[in-house]
Parts: sequence; structure tokens; C-alpha cells
Amino acid sequence: MLEQESIRAWFCAEVLPLERALTRFIGRNWRNPADVADLRQEIYARVIEGVGRSGIPLQAKPYVFTTARNHLINCARRGQVISLESVVELTGANVAIDALTPDRVVSAREELSRLSAALDRLPPRCREIVVLRKIEGLTQKQVAARLGIAVGTVEQQMVHGMRAVVDFMLGGSGRMKRPAAPRAKEGTQ
Amino acid sequence: MSPAALIEQEAARWILRREEPGWTEGDAEALEAWLAESTAHQAAFWRLEHGWRRADRLAARPPASTEGWKPTWSRRFAPLAASIVALLGAAVWLGHDMAGRTYATDVGGHEIAPLPDGTKVELNTDTRLRADVTRDHRQVWLDKGEAYFEVAHDKAHPFTIYAGKRKVTVLGTRFSVRRTGDEVQVTVVEGRVRVDPTEAPKPTPPTVLTAGQIAIAKGAAATLVTPRTVPEAAKELSWRQGMLVFDQYTVERAAEEFNRYNRRKIVVTSPEAAAIRIGGTFETDNIDGFVELLQQGYGLKIEESDDEVKITG
Repeated sequence: MLEQESIRAWFCAEVLPLERALTRFIGRNWRNPADVADLRQEIYARVIEGVGRSGIPLQAKPYVFTTARNHLINCARRGQVISLESVVELTGANVAIDALTPDRVVSAREELSRLSAALDRLPPRCREIVVLRKIEGLTQKQVAARLGIAVGTVEQQMVHGMRAVVDFMLGGSGRMKRPAAPRAKEGTQ
Repeated sequence: MSPAALIEQEAARWILRREEPGWTEGDAEALEAWLAESTAHQAAFWRLEHGWRRADRLAARPPASTEGWKPTWSRRFAPLAASIVALLGAAVWLGHDMAGRTYATDVGGHEIAPLPDGTKVELNTDTRLRADVTRDHRQVWLDKGEAYFEVAHDKAHPFTIYAGKRKVTVLGTRFSVRRTGDEVQVTVVEGRVRVDPTEAPKPTPPTVLTAGQIAIAKGAAATLVTPRTVPEAAKELSWRQGMLVFDQYTVERAAEEFNRYNRRKIVVTSPEAAAIRIGGTFETDNIDGFVELLQQGYGLKIEESDDEVKITG
């Protein structure tokens, strides 16, 4: 359990701040933009697995991007839709990790304005619910009663809102994720 | 939906449920088990948890910049109360005519007027109302616009409102009547209200509305009654707090609502944009905030001029 806890702490402190750069890296090396979020989650899972096996690396950044590159190559080799050039580029180990945007320490003030922006990007209904729940501290039940809607609807909107807000906080666009066409099924792992 | 998106949704639900009252030991164990199932679960959960915790600072935002719900009547009422005193003396009372006093508001106006019998009338934007209220009879004509009534109890003298081709007889206390041309809408928050046609070719059964019901009548055609919950009906009256509450409104209808309150008009020229459904709470004069959301949230194109905001696609 303790080990899980230290992995979690490392993941939040060292890996998640790289999300913006990682997302761009995947986007540059993968044809279909709709797959990016899925690939990112798979890469995160691989990073966590790897760290569980061989311990926390000295430097998170090269480790994460190497894992990302390997995962993309694996996906490509499994015959998923990907251009040949991409594979060549990736296997050529020509990954411009250093050229990626430097991590920056976000000041509290910047973070706050980022949060405002994240909220403002939500559709009005969703934002209203997130505001009541997160800022005014109402329970989901109270939000439902106040707005005259079902508790399930509140939870559904909160799920959308949380995903969009977190995405924006970690450097994404903060757009609501709409169901996209599923990626071509991966081969058996 | 992709497997990763499903996992992320599930992770979000776990986080939300953990924040709710009634989270038990058993729930915590179930969450641990779910996390232990796969590293993908862990990745999604840790990521959302981390980002969401950072969003706790949202609470530090000044309330003025949240576009959310602002229900505090007293906060909005205080400045209003001061202006009512002045308005009652000057603007509201336009004088006597055949049917007693006339009360009116301009576009964007919002005023409260006490009637001689103790009834309170609250006038919304662009509204004209004539009241013939004495000790013996109580009659009101709504010429245009919208008014909210809190009717003083007096069983012996029914309170009647004439709006277009409808006669609204008050059996209860709190409700509003809105007239747009020949369309009349009655929203009841408390008690009971009876709606009758003013001229019926043959006797028709009366329509009696109870709390939470909304009746809409166009011309002489039948009156349609929509059952709603009381909070939903109350939302129709959010203008009393200076707010517009849209619940799955089309952009077109939301624009019409804004246009009732503002001289600067929103014009929707794109049929696709007009049909988009939205929800949310806005101050009646916050056209800019509304338009910005359409721009940011839905990527709609906007052209602005001094007296118009055009939504073109």
C-alpha cells in the first residue's frame, strides 16, 4: 500500500505536469486526433506499471516520453491505422524531447485564472451545477433539489464538468468530451 | 465511447461519490478493489483526483465573476428597494383612466407596486397594467408584458386579471401572468388559479392551475397546461431576482428572452445556431456573458455592433 502511495505521489508531482507536452507529442505522432486521450491514458498506465516493476526513475521526463514512444510504436505495429512515415520517424528515435515546451511553475494567481477560464468554458448548465457543488459546497442531492432535476443528472453533469476542468487544468483545451468513434480494436495484449 | 473514456467516467464517479455524505468503509473498500483491478484505473483516478483537488481553489473566486446561480434575494433587493420608493412616486403611476390606475415599466424596467387592497404586484420589463381595485371589486388588465402577483386574501372579493383573451381568477396567492401579443402564460407558485376564456362560444370547463403548473394560451384556442415542479415554476419567475434561467432553451428562445430586457438586440441569423439547446443562469442585462459563452462553448460566430449582436453561424 505504501508503495502504491509513493507511486501515486510521484505520478502527480512529476508525470502529470508533463501532460501538455505529452499530449502534443502524441498528437504530432498519431494520425487520428480522436485517439489522443485514449493513448495518453494507456501510456500513463504503462508508466505506472513500469515504475511498479523497476522503481521510480531519477528523471521522469525521459522515462515518460520513452514509454510514450514505445507505446505508439507498439500500437502502430499491431496494425492500427497509422502512416508508415510516422513509424519510421518514431523508430528512428528522433524524438525531440528537449524541444518540448519547458515545464513551468505555475503561480497561484495564474492557477486561479486558469480555473476561472476552465469554468467559463463549460456549457452554462454544466457550469451552474459545478459552481453549486464545488464553490457553494452543496451536496449532489441539494443541487438536484435546488435545480429541480434528478440526482443522476447532477452526477452526469459533474462527471462531464470534472473531466473538462481537469483536462484544462493540465494544459488541455477543456472542451467537453463528446463520444467519439471508437478506435480500431487493439490486438490481444 | 472508447474504453479509456469509460474508465475516466467511472473514476470521476468514484471521486464524486467519495465527496458525498454517506460514504462508508465498504465504499472505500470497493474503491480500493476497483483501483487494484488495473493500472489504467489508477492512472485515470489519480489524474482526475489531482486536477480536481487543484480546482478546490475555485472556492476562492470572488462571487462576482461566477456566472452561476445568484439567488440571494436580499442582495439584489437592497438597491432595488431604494429605487422603488422613488419610482412609485414618479414613473409607475401614470395616472387615472377609465379602469383605475395604470402601472408601466420600460424595456429593462422592474418595479414593485402595492395595490390599495394590500396586493403586491411586481412588474417585469416592458409591461403595462391597469388596476381597478377598490373595497368592492378587484380587477386588473394586463395590456402587455409580465407581472407577478401576491394577492391579498379576501374571499368575498375575487381578484381577476384580464390578459388578452383570458381571464385569470385568483383562488390562491402567488403566481405570474405574462402576455406577449395574444399569447398568455400563467405560472403558479403557490395556491390555485383559475383560467377562463373571456369569450367562449359555448360553455367550457374552467382550467384550474395548482402550484407548479404553467398554462399557455394562444388567442382563443384551448389553454394548454404543463405540469412542472414548484422549483421549475419558480424558475420562470427568476426575473424577479434580475436573472434569466434557461433550462434546455434553444438559442433562439434564449435570445428572445434577452431581447425583452435590453435595447441592444440579439439576432440569430443561422438556423443551426438557433436550434442549439442551452441551459444556464444569466443576469438579464448580461448579453456579453451570454454571447461569449456561445462563442467559447459552442464556437459560434458573432458580429457585434452598437445596437445589435448577430449570431451568424
